[in-house]
Amino acid sequence: METVVQSSVGIYSKPFHSLARKLIKASSGPITRVTEMDRRRGGISLLTSHSFFPAIRRIRAMHKSITSSPTVSFATPEVGVTNTETREWAMQDFYTLRKDVETVLERVQEIRAAAGLKQLQEDLAALEAAAADRSLWDDRAKAQETLQALTDCKDKLKLLRDFKTQADDAETIIKLTEEMDSIDSVFLQEASGIIKELNKALDRFELTQLLSGPYDKEGAVITITAGAGGTDAQDWADMLLRMYVRWAEKQRYKTKVVEKSVGEEAGIKSATVEIDGRYAYGYLSGEKGTHRIVRQSPFNSKGLRQTSFTGIEVMPLLPEDSTNVEIPEEDLDISFTRAGGKGGQNVNKVETAVRITHIPTGVAVRCTEERSQLANKIKALSRLKAKLLVIAEEQRASEIKQIRGDTVKAEWGQQIRNYVFHPYKLVKDVRTAYETCDITSVMDGELDPFIKAYLKHKYSLAANPSGLT
Amino acid sequence: MRLTKLSERRLRPACVSKKMKLSFIRPISCCSVSSPATSVKPQKPIFLRPPTFKTTISDLQKWHHWAKSLISSVGSTFLELDNGPDSELLLRELNWLVEDAIETPKSFLQQPHKNYNDNSSVAVRASLEQLYMLWKRRVEERMPFQYVVGCEHWRDLVLSVQEGVLIPRPETELIVDLVDDAIKENGELREGLWADLGTGSGALAIGIARILGTSGRVVATDLSPVATAVASYNVQRYDLEEKVHVKQGSWFEPLRDNEGEFVGLVSNPPYIPSKDIGGLQAEVGRHEPRLALDGGASGMNDLIHLCDGAVSMLRPGGFFAFETNGDEQSKFLVHYIETKKQGNFSKVKMVSDFAGIKRFITGFRGR
Repeated sequence: METVVQSSVGIYSKPFHSLARKLIKASSGPITRVTEMDRRRGGISLLTSHSFFPAIRRIRAMHKSITSSPTVSFATPEVGVTNTETREWAMQDFYTLRKDVETVLERVQEIRAAAGLKQLQEDLAALEAAAADRSLWDDRAKAQETLQALTDCKDKLKLLRDFKTQADDAETIIKLTEEMDSIDSVFLQEASGIIKELNKALDRFELTQLLSGPYDKEGAVITITAGAGGTDAQDWADMLLRMYVRWAEKQRYKTKVVEKSVGEEAGIKSATVEIDGRYAYGYLSGEKGTHRIVRQSPFNSKGLRQTSFTGIEVMPLLPEDSTNVEIPEEDLDISFTRAGGKGGQNVNKVETAVRITHIPTGVAVRCTEERSQLANKIKALSRLKAKLLVIAEEQRASEIKQIRGDTVKAEWGQQIRNYVFHPYKLVKDVRTAYETCDITSVMDGELDPFIKAYLKHKYSLAANPSGLT
Repeated sequence: MRLTKLSERRLRPACVSKKMKLSFIRPISCCSVSSPATSVKPQKPIFLRPPTFKTTISDLQKWHHWAKSLISSVGSTFLELDNGPDSELLLRELNWLVEDAIETPKSFLQQPHKNYNDNSSVAVRASLEQLYMLWKRRVEERMPFQYVVGCEHWRDLVLSVQEGVLIPRPETELIVDLVDDAIKENGELREGLWADLGTGSGALAIGIARILGTSGRVVATDLSPVATAVASYNVQRYDLEEKVHVKQGSWFEPLRDNEGEFVGLVSNPPYIPSKDIGGLQAEVGRHEPRLALDGGASGMNDLIHLCDGAVSMLRPGGFFAFETNGDEQSKFLVHYIETKKQGNFSKVKMVSDFAGIKRFITGFRGR
């Protein structure tokens, strides 16, 4: 019985006719498959959408009515087209639906794997044991915490089970349709409905799982700083600025280049962009780090291959008063970049840049875009707080005080992605190993696959810190 | 006492406030007010002017392009010459001029590469000729940017400035923080009478008035009639006519009636030694009022005068903060106060600006 299911999953991606043939050959008769389906439905009943019940019943009814004809084949699509019922559901539509079901099954598998099912089940067992313990209510606060964690864990497991059963239901419809010599449009309609709803639910789940950080739903501030490498690096920084602005425009986020320091020959020394929109920070937070380019530099007269670096920092764009972090004045080193000289009345320059360093961690921010020093200081301080909050979150520190400054620099400067323009074209993320040859699209802001790959990577790391899947 | 009367008088409908501002100086007979002084009319900063001029995007772009080419011709020559602005800073200034002058600067600045044939109309707060003239003066004559746009962003304020008035410096912003610290420690200071001596654009007076309590008042004095006119205009723009009284006259002279009543004195007096004036950055030396910069041979003539006067002007426990030319002057003044004014002041100290220069001296009148 099990073999039926396994083999059918195994050959799922094969063309329809061969699949149908194999299915039919492998099957030991329709009845067993219904039983198999029933067995699986045992755990589903609560979760399946109501609209599906009649369909399931009809599947069973139809199954019974199928005369044992294992030789029936779906080798040619025309078989189905002759049926009057398929005017609404042509073979073509069926193929599409089948493809959708395949995709959704894969997606469910991925999500279940990423969610760390094994870990969740272990957690559940541990929490259940804790909840059943007699001493549970000795500590009321802890008891409530335990019970809440138990509920959360159960809910999540239930949701993951829901996904599986719904995907299986849709799969069953497809399989049965393949097996039967007819296409039932009501049937397929229901499968299509399930897929649609399931995809929405999966989107929601993914979003909440992948973007569940405390600042993920906020806007983002990106700071781009050209690394060593002179004009080539400054040009590279400018290219990245364009890339992120293009990406943001595609997401319909509002972008504002709030600061830009132009390079002598070309490009930029640095720039700061504010990207305002829901989840901008969540998506972009993984972009922080060093981005490396390899190309034949247009600024190198010999046309030699050159490598340059640009640093990207990403911080949440927090409303000014939302950061209720108090940093003691003595922990701050505020310097006011007014180039040398006597200052005061002796100088009149509009340069009012403020740089604030958080002494215990060495984390520093700079703000130059405002027209007064105080305004720059306020903005810099607010950015510093946002940055410290993010670092605290990353290090799972409950307070700014607990931040381990020594690791900050290493983490934030880590090389995360390579962009090779020459001798071949390749963009590759060193963390996720996701890569593409379409470097032009990436530079045009096609970052979504990279972002998604990173979020999944981060999520699976968080779910399985030990590396187990 | 006189001050309260004055403030009562000023409680009049806004429509007469302009007249009031001018007549405000007159009742103070003790200070020398020459009649032409009262006729100084403060200029409106560009960003406050109505956008009555119409031009096309393409013409504006031509101007912008021209202005940028003027900037790139500067490179770092001013920087090397007299520590003036380099092209990067000038570019930033140009952006700010666009921000101030155009009604919808964002759409203009964010699409700089649009074609030159865009004939759609833009509303501007100055004529195209003025914009050409202003930027030419900025780069060729080294006129300070703040005089070009007629304002300076200082703390959270936007202050009107014009030729004849010292442009408030970012360092001076700190004095307001020093005052804030002092009034947080001693509530009496919050509700008392303050003086800003040599107020210029009125920056310190306004900054302090905004952190004082409901009964706190500031008297701002300046010898220059242009300065008093501009300071009055700024005070009016921030609706502080009730709290800040601008008086024309030299240092303590306009304050004689309130001798010994002040809870605080602040000043950014001229402190540059006369011999250094010639070598200043062109924007400063050529355009800003010498009256506000030149502190005599040592640069400390006025600072010493202020330290001397503070003894009789301040109430016991009163606070003072003065800006200086840096380490040398601050050290000298602290020493001067400790030896020559022995017992009159307490907690006298030097405070550094963000560049680490000992820019200020602060202290309290002994009780």
